[in-house]
Amino acid sequence: MLETFFLSWHIVQRNWMVYKKSLISNISPTLADPAFIIISLGIGLGAMIADIEGRTYIQFLAPGMAISTAMFTAFFETSYGFFVRMTFENIFKAMLTTPIGISEIVLGEFMWVAIKGALMYSGVSIVLLGFGLMSDPKLIVLTPVVGVLVALPLGALGLLSSCYVKNINQFQTVYSFLISPLYFFSGIFFPIDQMAPQIVWLPKLLPLYHGVALSHSVFWNENHSEAWLFHAPVLIAYSAVLITWARIKLQRKMQS
Amino acid sequence: MLKCAQNLRYSLRSMLVSAKNLKKSYGDFEAVRGVDFSIQKGECFGLLGPNGAGKSTIINMIYGATPKSSGELHVFNRDSFDSARDNKKRLGVVTQDNALDESLTVFENMWIYSAFLGVPTDKRRARIDGLLEFLNLSHKRNANINALSGGMKRRLVFVRALLHDPELIILDEPTTGLDPAVRHLIWGKVRELRDQGKTILLTTHYMHEAEVLCDRLLIMNEGQIVAEGSPKLLCKTHAPGYVAAFDQKNVPLEFAPDGFSVARDSSGVYVRAPQLDDLLRLQFDLKAEALLLRPANLEDVFLKLTGQELNKNA
Repeated sequence: MLETFFLSWHIVQRNWMVYKKSLISNISPTLADPAFIIISLGIGLGAMIADIEGRTYIQFLAPGMAISTAMFTAFFETSYGFFVRMTFENIFKAMLTTPIGISEIVLGEFMWVAIKGALMYSGVSIVLLGFGLMSDPKLIVLTPVVGVLVALPLGALGLLSSCYVKNINQFQTVYSFLISPLYFFSGIFFPIDQMAPQIVWLPKLLPLYHGVALSHSVFWNENHSEAWLFHAPVLIAYSAVLITWARIKLQRKMQS
Repeated sequence: MLKCAQNLRYSLRSMLVSAKNLKKSYGDFEAVRGVDFSIQKGECFGLLGPNGAGKSTIINMIYGATPKSSGELHVFNRDSFDSARDNKKRLGVVTQDNALDESLTVFENMWIYSAFLGVPTDKRRARIDGLLEFLNLSHKRNANINALSGGMKRRLVFVRALLHDPELIILDEPTTGLDPAVRHLIWGKVRELRDQGKTILLTTHYMHEAEVLCDRLLIMNEGQIVAEGSPKLLCKTHAPGYVAAFDQKNVPLEFAPDGFSVARDSSGVYVRAPQLDDLLRLQFDLKAEALLLRPANLEDVFLKLTGQELNKNA
């Protein structure tokens, strides 16, 4: 067990060695996109929008923007990133001749995704805190945990799509019909309860909704018991199921 | 009695790989159809066969990347799949594809693989530099992978397979696609490794390579073993004598005299006979001079046993 952990940690080290070589280009989209959205939607569009639940639109938008960076980081890492490593760079073929097995590859990739998710969410939150968009600065210590809780299930969705797609272009379909809806209908841009009651249950079933709710609670310093006793356990359950599924699927794919 | 028991124990201990009725299927396709073999400590063992014969499947099962379908496969006297992680600390694989990490430099590649293979941090640098030296790659230590030639990449894969000083070295088509100079360099290194007491398992398409390097070999076809023995013994048993090559137009299509075996391909007609005299006489009968006269070699054995020789009466 301990050996599995150390071997997986070496995979994290390997990914970090590669990642830090082009740090700026790796980080810029995750940081720049939410910044531009905050400016255009928050300040520009926000001027024309009435307050939501007693908050200005930019205050409403900030926690969702922060958590969406964890989602995109995790999904892209285990979809495009992992798929390229597996098929074009073929690096696992050689890794599997070392004591590393499929369990270590899966654990290593999820450790890496969790770390990236935590760093991204915390990083963006710190910037937004600087703009006065967080009610209680002390709650910043919770952000790494929230980042991990969102990165794991979304990373698992990415890894699953890596197992199912037949070529790299098919990720576009996964993105359009799975990730985009999550992004637009999880309470980032508008309160979910505004949707028609016949369909409002649907987004509430999906993982990102619970991540956004956690982020709202951290940013606005409210509903903590609901956040940590309901939304966090839902995300943990999602992670457990999706990661197990992805592991079984990957084992079948790699061992044949 | 006691001596017998001791011999048995000795042979068990000196056996690094043993397979009994080993089978592997992918759906309806049977890649390996019940093979038995063993690899002794210190020998260079060759696995030969045409594409699709099941060589790579066996290799993958030996290092535990693929589970077997049935039968037994023991590596270091343990089940190859269940004990894969421990076994892989004692074996090194020169993979068929280089599968080098192109995002990292030569040294970084070897550094991270030393970590995977459990080489202690304080010993890694010396180990890597020593092996880069051994395979004449020291000058490329800080180069990017895509700046290396095909031969250099192949040598670097050797470095990667040797980082943890393995007892068993698996070479999966180590010289495919390399120029003769690099091939000879690699053969020299393989011999050095064998002289150091390493056990080597080699798969190859090049019969000459197998003849030069292997103590013992196994020829496979369609998932089954068709012959086993030393290169010399195989030649003696399956293709004794001499071979003459003739131009197609000089040999009638129905030509199949007693005592000769005949193989045709696009480059000519190959006739094998037990004695050189028979072939010299044949030149008179056919009223044609042979393009080439040579002793039969492993290539003739291979073509005969894998069904690529049109065998008649021999």
